[in-house]
Amino acid sequence: MSEVPPGWSYNPSSWSERLPLIALALAGTVIAGYLALYQSGVTDSVWDPFFGRGSQVILHSSVSRILPIPDAALGAIGYVLDAVSGTVGGRERWRTMPWIVIVFGIAVGPLGLVSILLVILQPVLFHAWCTLCLSSAVISIAMIGPAMDELLASLQYLRREHDRGQALWPAFWGAHSATAESV
Amino acid sequence: MAALLLGIALGLWLTASPAVLDYAGIARVGALVAGPIAASVSWIGLSEVTRPVRRFNAGVGVWLLVTAFLFRQPRSAAINSVVVGLLLCAMAFWPAPVKGRYGGGWKALVGRHV
Repeated sequence: MSEVPPGWSYNPSSWSERLPLIALALAGTVIAGYLALYQSGVTDSVWDPFFGRGSQVILHSSVSRILPIPDAALGAIGYVLDAVSGTVGGRERWRTMPWIVIVFGIAVGPLGLVSILLVILQPVLFHAWCTLCLSSAVISIAMIGPAMDELLASLQYLRREHDRGQALWPAFWGAHSATAESV
Repeated sequence: MAALLLGIALGLWLTASPAVLDYAGIARVGALVAGPIAASVSWIGLSEVTRPVRRFNAGVGVWLLVTAFLFRQPRSAAINSVVVGLLLCAMAFWPAPVKGRYGGGWKALVGRHV
């Protein structure tokens, strides 16, 4: 059985496709974790080479305290989820583990969209910018496009299973993967 | 590809333009909202599988054109809004060929397959 999804020119679950995304997620985890330490008061200052006190303004803004935990900590958790869900499974996981691919897509997509919102809020509401917040947003947005191909392959697989008359729930958990697409 | 890179550049320029051209008020807010959206949409569209997303920038472009005439704003901001708006509309439909094969793409998920 081919690792490449039917009608595709490459395998979106191959490690060469996933490793760059995992690396980005880990970089995002480090940045967001560092910002969360500052927001939590563990560190006294935050590094910002371009916008001076802008980072402090943004990181102590009302928006950053909307949730019970600092927003950067939530970002770090999101990046960890990206890294873990990007790592779990083998080169055929688009077919053998659609559930983890869908978790990965959900983790990457909304995190990126929230990042765009936060980039907009920085100058509009607080007249300030934060270099590392922008860096984190760039990482989130950079991950969206490359992550969506694997999600598409898994959704197409589930669609084909549905068209074959198979139940979607077991297919979602990879139960049909041993026999699927071989007929 | 060039159209998407230009879309990113236009979004970044739009985000920086209130500081560079020195304007404030509703025009500033409009640029700071539309700029990051345009840049992000173009960037997401760089991936072939999410290429259709770039059409969204036509909406951003139309919004910039409409607001240039709808709200009172400095002449420099209005001209900037019109020029960037027109370019974003053009880039949203500029040919950007997809070379890879994706099993029918997102369209394969809808409709009846028998």
